[in-house]
Amino acid sequence: MFDRDIWQEIFHSIRSNKLRTFLTGFSVAWGIFILVLLLASVNGMQNGFYDQFNDNASNAVYIHSRTTSKAYAGFEKGRRIQFTNDDVDYIKGSFKGDFEFITPVFERSTSARYKEETGSYRVMAINNEHIFIQKVNISQGRYINKSDVVGGAKVAVIGKKVATDLYKKEDPLGKFIEINGLPFMIVGVFTDDKDEGAESMIYAPITTYQRIYSNTSDIDQIMLTYNPDFNLDEAMDFSNKITVLLKRRHKISPDDQAGLRIWNTAEAFNDIGQFTGILQIMSVVIGLLILIAGIVGIGNIMVFIIKERTKEIGIRKALGAKPKQIIMLVLLESVFITALSGLIGLLFATGLLSLVGPLMDAPAFKDPSVDMSTIIIATIVLVVAGMLAGLIPAIKAARVKPIVALSDK
Amino acid sequence: MIEIKDLHKSYKMGSNSLHVLKGLNFNIKEGELVAIMGSSGSGKSTLLNILGMLDELDEGSYTLDGVPIKNLNETKAAQYRNKFLGFIFQSFNLINYKTAVENVALPLYYQGVNRKERQEKALKYLEQVGLKEWAGHLPSELSGGQKQRVAIARALAAEPKVLMADEPTGALDSQTSYEVMDLIQKINDDGNTILVVTHEPDIADMCKRIVHLKDGVIVEDKKVDQVRASQYV
Ligand SMILES: Nc1ncnc2c1ncn2[C@@H]1O[C@H](COP(=O)(O)OP(=O)(O)O)[C@@H](O)[C@H]1O
Ligand SMILES: [Mg+2]
Repeated sequence: MFDRDIWQEIFHSIRSNKLRTFLTGFSVAWGIFILVLLLASVNGMQNGFYDQFNDNASNAVYIHSRTTSKAYAGFEKGRRIQFTNDDVDYIKGSFKGDFEFITPVFERSTSARYKEETGSYRVMAINNEHIFIQKVNISQGRYINKSDVVGGAKVAVIGKKVATDLYKKEDPLGKFIEINGLPFMIVGVFTDDKDEGAESMIYAPITTYQRIYSNTSDIDQIMLTYNPDFNLDEAMDFSNKITVLLKRRHKISPDDQAGLRIWNTAEAFNDIGQFTGILQIMSVVIGLLILIAGIVGIGNIMVFIIKERTKEIGIRKALGAKPKQIIMLVLLESVFITALSGLIGLLFATGLLSLVGPLMDAPAFKDPSVDMSTIIIATIVLVVAGMLAGLIPAIKAARVKPIVALSDK
Repeated sequence: MIEIKDLHKSYKMGSNSLHVLKGLNFNIKEGELVAIMGSSGSGKSTLLNILGMLDELDEGSYTLDGVPIKNLNETKAAQYRNKFLGFIFQSFNLINYKTAVENVALPLYYQGVNRKERQEKALKYLEQVGLKEWAGHLPSELSGGQKQRVAIARALAAEPKVLMADEPTGALDSQTSYEVMDLIQKINDDGNTILVVTHEPDIADMCKRIVHLKDGVIVEDKKVDQVRASQYV
């Protein structure tokens, strides 16, 4: 196998049949090229999806209250469920260790003003833990902190859009913004390059906001992150338990899907994983089919080569070549062409990816690439493929009868 | 060197069978230069192919250098061919993408001779046929006579017991034919056993013995006074 002479024979044969070798190799290179690009695209899609979610913590759970759709426990259906601060305390008390961060959310659209400039924005009132759940990117100043929440301070963190709308070229930090007629001091500005709409939001302490709204303890939503050590099952288990307990607390029928809505990021991630998994399998199948076409192509061409080289093989046999040596010659040539052209395809594909990949940053597509294991597997597949493609022609070649090959007729 | 007893060979073609060789008997001793003569279709090539282990006999026995040749598998036949025999063909049968010296070295490769020794030996035999300067040329750059001389060098390179030439001059003009026969005679002078298949009487006369085949039987087997080819070149 590592006999230098055999390789010399092979290079000789390849060099003196350039077109043939090119045609043979092209189909395999093409197959691998497509396979790698397909896999990389799926990878890019996956990266894109995850990236979108990564704006928020990947272990976030969102709980919204809704309107019941079933009569239950003496209540008629169509009842509006209202969460309060007590629900947050209840979860805190019942699930110690299961959650990381938790915040009540109170959300209103309001008009805001600075000097002559006004605009309508969404105010999201939250506590200091919120930043860890939705990953707010502070570009200036700071976020709402614990003492803001405890003291009910009239402070606000505004989005970049709000800042440019109302403050133009002025530095908003330390200035006041009038929200619903009340002055709030701006302590921070945030940006969000994934979602520009988010930049026209204002964050304020939940306590402050609830007090402004006639001393209510009502909340619209609960956000939390579960223990990051949880696996998918544990995470789903946790959110299911919350659902059951909250339904019980608010007298919602256990089988009423409408009373409250709980959204667990783990589930979404799992769905994406499954979806891209299917895509991955599909692309492997497609890639392999293309590769098989290439291999059949090689096999065909090799058979043709053997026909063309019948005379030469006959001569070699007359000169004392053993069948084994003939098989080796044909097989190694096939493996060599397949492996080499496959690697060229691989190189082109990865080259293209490293050139184009960084440029591609569409919302659902990011950093398309293949990992090392894909490349190693592809290489093994190629060598095996080359052997398979060469096998039948090689056996055919070994069976060539010298008298038939050498007859001048 | 070669012993043939009651050799029969038929070709089956569908339901028909063509009886080509019908009981041949002869012996060839070491150092002989034998012409196998006969008109086209008389079975000369069939006989040579059997002697060359490229084909199998149906009946009778064949002994080469004391070794009975029968029921050889492919690998064994390849070994024997490599060790015992050198072939020279009418159409030269050089490998067209290999240079003269590479062609000559090929049987040595199958003998397992190392690269350096192969190169040396191949050059030596090319020199013997007068083509040392042409070592690096491809067959397409050589004339017919030169090609046949490369083929002869190749047959010699393996240092076989017997050289077998099937119509070695069949594709050459008469002048070149004589040059090739001159070479063959000289190789025979060195003590090599050579069989030459031909249908040309003047070529046969340049051998030392003529075995005349007709319709699959030997009709004549005679020693002749060798006509030296050197007088024509
Ligand atoms: N492989 C074969 N199959 C069938 N018939 C063959 C085969 N080889 C030769 N023959 C026939 O056998 C006869 C002798 O052929 P051959 O030995 O080649 O004759 P020569 O070499 O004397 O011209 C011819 O009639 C030829 O057609
Ligand atoms: Mg013939």
